Amino acid sequence: MDRPSGTSYQRFPRVRIRELKDDYAKFELRDTDASMANALRRVMIAEVPTVAIDLVEIEVNSSVLNDEFIAHRLGLIPLTSAAAMQMRFSRDCDACDGDGSCEYCSVEFHLSVHATDSDQTLEVTSNDLRSMDPKVCPVDQARAYQHALGGTDPFGANASNENRGILIVKLRRGQELRLRAIARKGIGKDHAKWSPAATVTFMYEPDIRINEELMETLTVEERISLIESSPTKVFELDSANQVNLFSLVVVKNAEAYTYDDEVIKHAEAIGKPGLVEITAKEDSFVFTVETTGAITAYELIMNAITVLRQKLDAVRLQDDDGDLGELGAHLGGP
Amino acid sequence: MTVPTKDDSQSGTVADTVPLPTYRSLAAPVRKPVDKFALLPAFLKVRGLVKEHIDSFNYFVNKGIKKIVEANNRIEARNDPSIYLRYLGVHVGMPSVHVEYNIENITPHFCRLTDRTYSAPIKVHIEYTVGKQHEVRRKNNFIIGYMPIMLRSHACILYEKDEAELAKYGECPLDPGGYFVVKGTEKVILIQEQLAKNRIIVDTDSKGRVIASVTSSTHAIKSKTVIFMDKGKIYLQLNQFNKPIPIIVVMKAMGMESDQETVQMVGRDPRYGDLLFPSIQECASERIYTRQRALQYMDEKVTYPGATNQKEGRSYSILRDVFIAHVPVKNGNLRPKCIYTALMLRRMMDAIVNSDTFDDKDYVGNKRFELSGQLISLLFEDLFKTMNSQAVERMNKNSDKTHSSPLDFSQLIMQDSITFGLERAISTGNWDIKRFRMHRKGVSQVLSRLSYMASLGYMTRITPQFEKTRKTSGPRALQPSQWGMLCPCDTPEGEACGLTKNLALLSHVTTDQEEGPLIYLCYSLGVEDLLSLSSEEIHTPGSFLVMFNGLILGKHKDPQRLVIDLRNLRRSNVIGEFVSIFINEKQHCVHIASDGGRVCRPLIIADMGISRIDETHMEKLRHGTCGFDDFLRDGLIEYLDVNEENNALIALYEHMDQDDVERSSITHIEIEPLSILGVVSGLIPYPHHNQSPRNTYQCAMGKQAMGNIAYNQLFRADSLLYLLVYAQRPLLTTKTIELVGYDKLGAGQNATVAVMGYSGYDIEDAIVMNKSSLDRGFGRCIALKKYTVLKDNYGDGVSDMIVEPQRDNGVLIKQNMRALDEDGIAGPGQIIRNHDIYVNKRTPKNTSKGIGRALRESDYKDSPALYKGVDGETTVVDRVMLCSDTNDKLSIKCIIRHTRRPEVGDKFSSRHGQKGVCGTIVQQEDFPFSERGICPDLIMNPHGFPSRMTIGKMIELLGGKAGVSCGRFHYGSAFGEPSGNADKVADISSTLIKHGFSYNGKDFLYSGILGQPLEAYIFMGPIYYQKLKHMVLDKMHARASGPRVLLTRQPTEGRSRDGGLRLGEMERDCLIAYGASMLIFERLLLSSDPYQVQVCRKCGLLGYYNHKLKTSYCSMCKNGENMAKMRLPYACKLLFQELHAMNVVPRLKLTEV
Repeated sequence: MDRPSGTSYQRFPRVRIRELKDDYAKFELRDTDASMANALRRVMIAEVPTVAIDLVEIEVNSSVLNDEFIAHRLGLIPLTSAAAMQMRFSRDCDACDGDGSCEYCSVEFHLSVHATDSDQTLEVTSNDLRSMDPKVCPVDQARAYQHALGGTDPFGANASNENRGILIVKLRRGQELRLRAIARKGIGKDHAKWSPAATVTFMYEPDIRINEELMETLTVEERISLIESSPTKVFELDSANQVNLFSLVVVKNAEAYTYDDEVIKHAEAIGKPGLVEITAKEDSFVFTVETTGAITAYELIMNAITVLRQKLDAVRLQDDDGDLGELGAHLGGP
Repeated sequence: MTVPTKDDSQSGTVADTVPLPTYRSLAAPVRKPVDKFALLPAFLKVRGLVKEHIDSFNYFVNKGIKKIVEANNRIEARNDPSIYLRYLGVHVGMPSVHVEYNIENITPHFCRLTDRTYSAPIKVHIEYTVGKQHEVRRKNNFIIGYMPIMLRSHACILYEKDEAELAKYGECPLDPGGYFVVKGTEKVILIQEQLAKNRIIVDTDSKGRVIASVTSSTHAIKSKTVIFMDKGKIYLQLNQFNKPIPIIVVMKAMGMESDQETVQMVGRDPRYGDLLFPSIQECASERIYTRQRALQYMDEKVTYPGATNQKEGRSYSILRDVFIAHVPVKNGNLRPKCIYTALMLRRMMDAIVNSDTFDDKDYVGNKRFELSGQLISLLFEDLFKTMNSQAVERMNKNSDKTHSSPLDFSQLIMQDSITFGLERAISTGNWDIKRFRMHRKGVSQVLSRLSYMASLGYMTRITPQFEKTRKTSGPRALQPSQWGMLCPCDTPEGEACGLTKNLALLSHVTTDQEEGPLIYLCYSLGVEDLLSLSSEEIHTPGSFLVMFNGLILGKHKDPQRLVIDLRNLRRSNVIGEFVSIFINEKQHCVHIASDGGRVCRPLIIADMGISRIDETHMEKLRHGTCGFDDFLRDGLIEYLDVNEENNALIALYEHMDQDDVERSSITHIEIEPLSILGVVSGLIPYPHHNQSPRNTYQCAMGKQAMGNIAYNQLFRADSLLYLLVYAQRPLLTTKTIELVGYDKLGAGQNATVAVMGYSGYDIEDAIVMNKSSLDRGFGRCIALKKYTVLKDNYGDGVSDMIVEPQRDNGVLIKQNMRALDEDGIAGPGQIIRNHDIYVNKRTPKNTSKGIGRALRESDYKDSPALYKGVDGETTVVDRVMLCSDTNDKLSIKCIIRHTRRPEVGDKFSSRHGQKGVCGTIVQQEDFPFSERGICPDLIMNPHGFPSRMTIGKMIELLGGKAGVSCGRFHYGSAFGEPSGNADKVADISSTLIKHGFSYNGKDFLYSGILGQPLEAYIFMGPIYYQKLKHMVLDKMHARASGPRVLLTRQPTEGRSRDGGLRLGEMERDCLIAYGASMLIFERLLLSSDPYQVQVCRKCGLLGYYNHKLKTSYCSMCKNGENMAKMRLPYACKLLFQELHAMNVVPRLKLTEV
């Protein structure tokens, strides 16, 4: 394990944000490797805490769905969880002995809907949930509130008039639903309802090289067919000039490439192997992050980094103790 | 223009009614294909999925019951025939019950919930005599009993109700009906398959002899007549004769004294004569020349002499009444029977001369399907006769005893015998009819409500008559004549494989049709009456015999003409649409059939290969201006049964050329090729791309899939119900799915499946599931279980008591009473755990009789109903229903609900017979993902494909993926590609490419664990997955110590009794082979039933230990001197004692160790 002292393998990853909306982010992560990128992805899915309904006490339920069914649906409603990082887990909350019902670790919700006179079915949605803590509420309510404030609508043009909430159950005349629910902090590893991530994915940035010499041997038809051989729009004809004999195939959008090898196969099929070469850049990743709305995409990324750091700190602290046991011996430690 | 030649009309086509093709019409371009699909929904709208059941029952209620009552309409006292009762009419009322002198109408759902029978009164109008003067009185609407009513039949209140009205009655609109509700359980009378009655079947028997047999069936009698050839001579075999009778003797006994006439009757072909010669010779050698002598000869061979009428001669009456009983004998004229026998002989000899003409017993045209209406009619007839005879019996008894005024019959008729008889038969499934010596078991079965498909499958099921144990392959094999009539896929595996079948989607089973008018019509169409023909004339070449429902009607000189005329009459609705006219060139016979139980199916009529249906017709149909029946009436469509199909040339598509087929010879066109499959196999997408057994497996599994059962599922009270929480409609549907409503009551979910290896927990068809998907509700199901408690009455006002939970200072005295409400019954919505009480019942200690005083608290003992659930699972009381049963006892039904999420070991299956258990559950972040962010719900191992060859599943994946990308449900109907009912793979691939996927459905995935790309492209997309009812929770079982059987003191057996796990013979063998003797000793002796006995060393018998004297004692030696203690299994000690009891003395010889 003797490393030549002086040479450091430490790299300094760079992040470039391409697009950042409230519930969507796209960024590049460079100068690092897959383990790092994947660790970030995994943490975002499974370990960034949010708040979600965890306990439901049903007082009256005469709807068509049974109690567990409704409880399950309630649990999956994303709640605004900007404060979740600061909240306590109920299991290690001192204020309530892990009871999970104090203000430090829980938020109480009430729902009481009674379909009275109307002959139409009444839709019970997340908008009917009344939160005891204004910071934690169903995401649609938060959106409507922001909209009412006259703030810019970050969720696209017609989010406001489409804001009908998340459907919980439909009631016919005479049916009633009344319940008390307690939301708690948790992580996606325990249950998917606590996962703030709708989509977290990354791809290796492709490195596409077109062999210009070979390309010149192609007819225009062959070039067009080469472009069309890719199911996604990766290539195009050099559109600066009109399509003519000399227009070349250029990369239009490298990231649209799905590593499907279709172009390479096509090149081989027309007898020009090596016409296009595509490799993945081993140290460069394009992340796409979408959230459920519980926290913003920015918070998700930042919280994920925080959580990841905490975990690394935990490992490092262990290392400092030298308490690796047999593992330490294997690593050739002291 | 050509003039039709003789050859033209003999080719069997029906071309004469259409304008003959001109040069122009033949040269005209082929028309565009007509989209005939709309006919299918139209057919199902008219006929429904279970129309055959309902039709059959309707026929019985409307016509059959009237015939039965009319045939037995008069009963009279034996000693005074002027005391009588006459039935003037009968009808079945609306389903109702008598409640305290009130008549209340009942609904099927009410009956299901309260364990009643959905039955309607059978009302008769009667005329009877009263008093000494025999005064005639009339009574209308006299109830003779209650008849269970088939749901959705004419007599049912649900008949022709729309969806809103059905909802009011608590009924699911998608429920097909066609079953009965008896004592609260839904019972189906399965379709029974049997050999056609009254038809000659020429076959070989087990000894290889050629036999011609007829099973005759009339209202009065059923008999089987067999004529067989043994060593060149022909004999008749009949149960009533103990020995075979030479056939010529039989002919002579029936008046055919001339051998020449017999031979003429059979036919002039010298080969027939040669074959008959030995038989004639045998008869001559017995010196039987006259009718008298022949009858005498036969009299000696009657099995039970004395039973029959002595005056006429026993054998004569047998010949008249039993021998080919369905041939009517008018005024003692046996000539029709002679001709029939001659025909049997002729058919037999045809078969000997030319083995092609043997009949095939497995041929569907030789089968008849007995439906609920016919079965109930048999039962009712028997019960009705019994009831009448009982009434007569009672009348006789009364008139013998008393000399007062004679009673009237109306008071002697007991309702119960019919009511209970019908109810008992339908609820047990035992059909015992003494008259026909019919003892059938399992005729009716409980309608399975496990899934919607299961209940539909029950309605189309056909059970065989013969025993299932036979190893023969013939009846099990797929018959070519099943095409379009019976589903080729849907049959169970195992012992009933191929015997139990299912109806195809469009097939229909006929009911009886009036014979008289048809016979009259035949005569007026030029059929020469049989009796006017001489024996020589019957088989003149060129003329065909005309057979009507197995009877010889006569002959016709121009059979093609007759057939064409009859068919045209049918197409123009002069005769019923289900009459089949079939010309058999080999037998020189025209068969006309109007009997019930034939399967038939609708086909489009084509003239010279050109369909009668064109786009204008379909336009009308789509607009609803005309329906299927209009098509039938206009002669565009007709029903063909299996036999008539042989006279037709059926094309799949009009617009397509089929190889080697002259277009102009095509007579019919199929409606849709997907209709060769049944209802259950219809939900398989692309079944024609699968290996055939896979479709069969799916048919069995589709019935075990959980999903939505009916719209009223939450109001039902089934003893066990499995529901899926988020059931979905399949992304890749078929036309059948839409037709039967599976898209509304789905049983599965569209899972995104990645076909790859992962984690090693996916070998042997196991699947890896995504934990987050399960969190979000994939595969989540609800199990509803019914627990019934009866509050018993013991008479004298003594009854069980249901008491509020006992409390001590406001605290429950027992923890397990927490689910109880104040009324002593568990409250809906309460969480109920293992060993909790759900009904707090107390029973009187002394139930035999009342003690003459009011019972006190101390006279009762606790007998609570304890819930037996799984520890650690949360179950909830869903509903509590109270109702009084038929004995007026309070019955408390608690329905307990358990919501389960999938766990390792639960069984899942796709729709292609690919079942697998959940091998492991993996976190979402460990799952592979694509750069679009798609992460599969489950991972399936690719080793499932090569040996199973379920290409249909791959196409389903592709189609499903294209479907989600473009937002259109894709179709995969059977053989649907040419007609556009199934999407082609090429089209699917181009859709995929359009949406940025690879054409082959493979995706580039990253490993969720490492973040690196996977080395192969992964075939990934949505596949409809079913959760099957087999769940680990219901099956897992382990025990350390526990209950033992009282007798042997060995551990109990089975999970339900918390039984031990047996170390069986094979396991023992393994331990012996391994040499683990101490382990065997421990398992077999110590862990099972150890016991200590006292053995007398001297006599070797078992003694006992006297606890008072603290010594052991041998009761044989009368002393305790040589006693030894030893241990042996209790079962061993028991064996010794049992042997003692049988006077066998086992002695133990002990040696010191």
